[in-house]
Formats: sequence, C-alpha cells, structure tokens
Amino acid sequence: MLTTSFLGLELRSPVIVGSGPASHDVNQIGLAERHGAGAVVLKTACSDKFEHMRFWPRPRYKLLDWDKQIAGRSKQFSLYSYEQGYSGSLDDYWEFIRACKRNAGIPIIGSIFADDAADWAAMAAEVEAAGADALELDFSSPHRPGSLQFDTTFVAAMRAVLDQVKIPVLAKLSPGSLTESQAEEAEHLGVHGVTLCNRLQGIDVDIESQQPILHGYYAGIGGPWAKYYTMRHVAEAYLKLHIPISGTGGAINGEDVLKYILVGASTVQILSAILINGWETIARINADVTAYLQGKGIERLEMIRGRAVASMTSLESIVRWSGEPLDGARNVWKEKDP
Amino acid sequence: MNGAQKYPGLPPLPPPFAAQHPPVARVLEDNCIACDRCPPVCFFDALHMEKRTGHPHGRTAVVVVEHCTGCGLCFESCPVDAFVWVPDMSPHPSRPGQRL
Repeated sequence: MLTTSFLGLELRSPVIVGSGPASHDVNQIGLAERHGAGAVVLKTACSDKFEHMRFWPRPRYKLLDWDKQIAGRSKQFSLYSYEQGYSGSLDDYWEFIRACKRNAGIPIIGSIFADDAADWAAMAAEVEAAGADALELDFSSPHRPGSLQFDTTFVAAMRAVLDQVKIPVLAKLSPGSLTESQAEEAEHLGVHGVTLCNRLQGIDVDIESQQPILHGYYAGIGGPWAKYYTMRHVAEAYLKLHIPISGTGGAINGEDVLKYILVGASTVQILSAILINGWETIARINADVTAYLQGKGIERLEMIRGRAVASMTSLESIVRWSGEPLDGARNVWKEKDP
Repeated sequence: MNGAQKYPGLPPLPPPFAAQHPPVARVLEDNCIACDRCPPVCFFDALHMEKRTGHPHGRTAVVVVEHCTGCGLCFESCPVDAFVWVPDMSPHPSRPGQRL
C-alpha cells in the first residue's frame, strides 16, 4: 500500500531518512531499515577543498522552543545546529557506501558537495562505483560557502555529474524565491528528481552574555513549523515539473507526510523527527499513513499525490467579496428591517 | 573544575579549551533527579541510567564518554541543569571535531 516508485526505484515506504546525523554510520542504516524506511540519503561528503567541513564544533545542537515531550511525543521544536559534512575522508565515504550496500536491503542514496565541476563529477563517479542506488547533489546546505552561485557553480555541477554517471540524480535546493526556477533549470538539465527543501540559516542570541549562541556563527535552523514553507515550494514545483519531488522539512508524523504527498511529493525525507522522537517515528508514520489510506479506501499512495494542488484555486478566482456593501460605511451595525 | 563550562556558551567556551579538548558531557550526579528524560534524547547511545546506592533517587544518568559526540542535546532535556562540559580526553583521533 505504501510502495512508492521513485527515481526508478521501488521503495516500500515514501519515508526516506534525510541526509544528516541519522545517516552517518553503517549501524544507522540497519536501524532505518528495521523501522521501515523506504531509503536512506547518506550524510553529505564534502570535497577535499572543504576538508574543514569534516570537523564539527562542540556543542553543535541546541533545541529551541521545544515542548520537552519525550518518547516520540514532541510536536514543537526548532533544531538549531552547526553539524557539518561527513566526518571521514572521501575514501572512508566510498567504503561507507559499500558497507551500507552490503548490510542494507533498502536503497542507499549518496550525497555530495563540492565547488569545481570536475570535483563534482569525480565524486559522483566514486559514489556510483561504490554501489549507491542514486545520488543527491547538496546545493543547499545551510553551511555551504555563500559565494557559490546556482547559475554558475551548481548548473555546471549538474552538467558534469549527469555526463558522468548513470544512476539517478537528485538536486537538493534551498527554500526561497528562486526555488521553482532552479528546480525547472535542474529538470531542463536532465536531473531525475528534486529534493525540496534544505534548511535555512538563522541566528539565535543569548541576551545574558549578549553573544550568539553555540559556535558564535549562523546555524542551520529547522523544525515542524518549517513544513508550511517547504510544502508550498513542493506544490509550486509539482505544478511545473515532470520529475518526482522528494519533500523535506518539518515532517514529524503521518499527517505531515500525507500533506506532503497531497501537495505533490513522491517521497518525504525526515530527519530531526528521528533525532528528537526516535527511530520509531518511521514505523509510526508508516502505520498512520496506512491507517489513513485504509480508512479512506485508497489503494495506493500515488492516487492522492498532488490532489490538494489540483484543488487549489487560482489567484484571480479567490472569492474576495462576501456580501458587504461595496461603497459607503462598512462594518456598521444596522438593525434589520422588521 | 578542569574547564567544565555551562552550555550554551554562558560564558562561551574558551577557544583553547574547545580547540584542544573538544567537550563531552558529564552528569553532576548529585544534581540528577533520575527523571529518565536524557537517555531517549541522546541519539548516540551515550547516556544511560545506573543504580547508585546512597543517591537520593537511587539512580543517576551516566555519560559513556566513548560514545559522546558533544552534540548538546542532553543539556536541553535536563530539567535541573545536571550536565556540564568536560574536556574529551578519550583516545579517539578520528572523532569528529577532535584535533589532538
């Protein structure tokens, strides 16, 4: 019932473990599989030029606005973090992919970041050679150097990678005013799917010390509240694109995953929910989505994909007049004629 | 107390301490109220509860230093500020963030 076709892969669930601290270790792949994940996007490996991004400051996480529920019951939090890329060398990463493939029965999606197109292509080739089922290009990490531009660096990267590998390629994009046009550009170049969206950078301040918290710089910030922004990007992209969309950002339960599907996502990547509410989150989402489909008599998830978008009205046809006088004093109480 | 600092950056971790000995968490056992909140929040199996004879609650949280990545999540879960940072002296040259 939850089986999802994505990038030519048959996933047993639309729930994918997003790239991050829950996909940095071989043992975690087994946990993801045991709890019912459809696939795993591995932690992003950075090219040697960005070796400094293999080192993480401590501490690197702060939970803001947390409702402090535990055992899978948290509904509100913001995860403020400065976790960087895969912490080993590139050779370690290729071996990591091989070990994941040896030990896992679910698709493994590699994730890479670089700047020069040649580095992107070389890394993509290694990811493919190591046996990854697909590749996600991380154009949108909140920690990437701001000097890299989509129209130059990342377009060149997509061209180089697509020339290099045969496995399906996903482009992971930032939320913002350019998301849809970048997704269209990615599709035009031949990318097989887009991941919408990565987290944004934010900053929080400790008013006692009057200092930025944690490592003293901007951090990635996300949480359940972020889904409303990313779902809108998924909806807009769904209307324009012909390639599948992996929605990600703030999904913590079955309801959220269903909402992502209803606005057009094929799969939904979750991460902070696993971190805060545990690996059981995946099994709980699968059970809740299954129960929903059974309750509604829907056989396959794809039957409801994009249904909410299909029902959206257009900007021009929003009903704005609800019966009050169009001129004269408004909102004035008048006794009705007897 | 050997560089132990309260999170988050209050005051900020002194750079030499953070650079040379990346911090890991430690439980101030006298402060722990054995509420069981931190073990499920630790994503790295670095926290568990242990029995303690003579402890007012009979148990306390304990950090497994070898597993601790110094991420900071346990500090959030603790309602009584029983966590402090201590330098990571464990022999893990490949540990993320550690440049010994």
